[in-house]
Amino acid sequence: MNQEIDIQDRPKYINPYFGGVLLGLVLLITFYITGRGLGASGAVKSAVVTTVDKVAPDHAEQNTYMKAFITDDHSPMFNWLVFESFGIFIGGLLSGALFGRIKKLRIEKSPNITNKTRLFAAGIGGILFGIGSQFGRGCSSGAALSGTASSSFGGLLVMLLMFGTGYVVAYFFRKLWI
Amino acid sequence: MGPLIPQGIIPMGWDFVIALLIGIAFGFVLEASGFSSSRNITGVFYGYNFVVLRVFFTAVVVAMIGLQYFDYFGWIDLNQIYVLPTFLSPMIVGAIIMGVGFVLGGFCPGTSYTAIAIGKIDAMVFTGGLFLGIFLFSEFFPFFEQFYYSGNMGSITIGEFFGISNNLVTLIFVVIAVVAFYITWRIELRVRKNMIQYKF
Amino acid sequence: MNKNYIILMGILILLAAGLLVLPLKNNSKQLDPEVLMWDIVQPTRYVSTDEVAKMIIEHDPLLMMVDVRSAEDFQLFSLTNAINFPLDSLALDDARSALTFNKRNLVFYSNDDLKSDQAWVIAKRLGLKNIYVLKGGLNRWIQTIIQPEAPAETASEAEFNLYAFRQGASQYFTGGSISIDKSPQAEVVVSRKKKAKAAEGGC
Repeated sequence: MNQEIDIQDRPKYINPYFGGVLLGLVLLITFYITGRGLGASGAVKSAVVTTVDKVAPDHAEQNTYMKAFITDDHSPMFNWLVFESFGIFIGGLLSGALFGRIKKLRIEKSPNITNKTRLFAAGIGGILFGIGSQFGRGCSSGAALSGTASSSFGGLLVMLLMFGTGYVVAYFFRKLWI
Repeated sequence: MGPLIPQGIIPMGWDFVIALLIGIAFGFVLEASGFSSSRNITGVFYGYNFVVLRVFFTAVVVAMIGLQYFDYFGWIDLNQIYVLPTFLSPMIVGAIIMGVGFVLGGFCPGTSYTAIAIGKIDAMVFTGGLFLGIFLFSEFFPFFEQFYYSGNMGSITIGEFFGISNNLVTLIFVVIAVVAFYITWRIELRVRKNMIQYKF
Repeated sequence: MNKNYIILMGILILLAAGLLVLPLKNNSKQLDPEVLMWDIVQPTRYVSTDEVAKMIIEHDPLLMMVDVRSAEDFQLFSLTNAINFPLDSLALDDARSALTFNKRNLVFYSNDDLKSDQAWVIAKRLGLKNIYVLKGGLNRWIQTIIQPEAPAETASEAEFNLYAFRQGASQYFTGGSISIDKSPQAEVVVSRKKKAKAAEGGC
């Protein structure tokens, strides 16, 4: 088949095993320096708390979940994970620029679905991930990756169940991707 | 020696600078490995691209082995490492919800940030959904507060749970990873042969 | 399959297997005397009777009460769900493994806080974590929780709230033999103490 064209069209990513070793070393250094792993969804949590605190301070104060993250001396945005997540964005920019992947705004999807379907699915997926990451005490980087690396039983549990569920439901959503 | 910040070797003021630098390294590796593309990521569920499994397992295994050796040589005190506490039932529910979200959205939070960086609109929508999801969770928190704190097993490690040493856990993990690498490599070859187009 | 991959994977397995065959690390972690002294002078190891009562009432899953008095005393009276490790048995191996199990928060108590303080130092040197001492021991427990003293009329509202809580707790522990004017159950229902690590949660 058109194997040749395929290979040419494929973006140049680094060898996944090499990427994995690099990621593992980043994780190791993070543990060495900070004593805890990486994370990503915590920054969005801080953003949520900040927004609610700005818009309706009383409401945020009453909410038992958000209250824990509000302090008088500084904004919830002044948080390790927020800085780290901002770093993730910059790192993505650097790598994207280096490998020439920064292009104009675009939507990536299967050719069989419309843009609207893709965005709708992405939004729902985001909402589910947001809710799930709170129950799971972290998302794929915080719980599954860092948790498992620090031999946490919960981390292993989240990793196995998250990917397991993915495989179970993947069949029903195959239109979205292939 | 380590961990440096909890031991007070690096003063707290450097905390956020380090956070930023670590984030940059993390984001760079994620993007460079191809995690900024949702079709790339979800390939792991359909067998046409196992990059997620490769990167993820290699990273976990490298960090696990590294931590054990660091502990052995006394460079890091594993007792001071934050071990994610296990809350059995909420974690099971959370992981299942995330699994569905993963297949639907095609990103996880960290990868969506890097995808935004290279201009993916779907990643922006995903992050918006993330925001909304966490907001909804906090709003309805009182309804499942009891459940949220249920099944607390403390900071239990895999070895403690199964009654074996964590070194043995690491070895088992490495063996599983290597076997998984081999099997998925075979699957990928077969699936890709039947795929007509594969573009990003 | 690329030969290089086979070599790399072999290295990975060897590294992991190496962890198992390495000679055991010298694990006699004697606590640095300076560290020990620093910890001993810290008042943070004490928990008050009110805090403990609250945790017992809430069935805090992490709480483990450790009675360090003799077995006879333990038979006569003990706190809810406490386990008995007399002071002289504390350094034995099975006591140690029982206490480290599950990484719970251990609260030592005795009649006052002398013996439990000694137990705390022993436990500290054994390398146990999350260990505390019940301030004032059982004597203070009786004074404050079982037979709480009513505050003076002029006392602050906080003191009255505390008294109300203690009355409720007293009823909880004694089975409701004390007459109380307010409904105690409402006072006993206290919101679950948030984990100190809560802010670190999330990923």
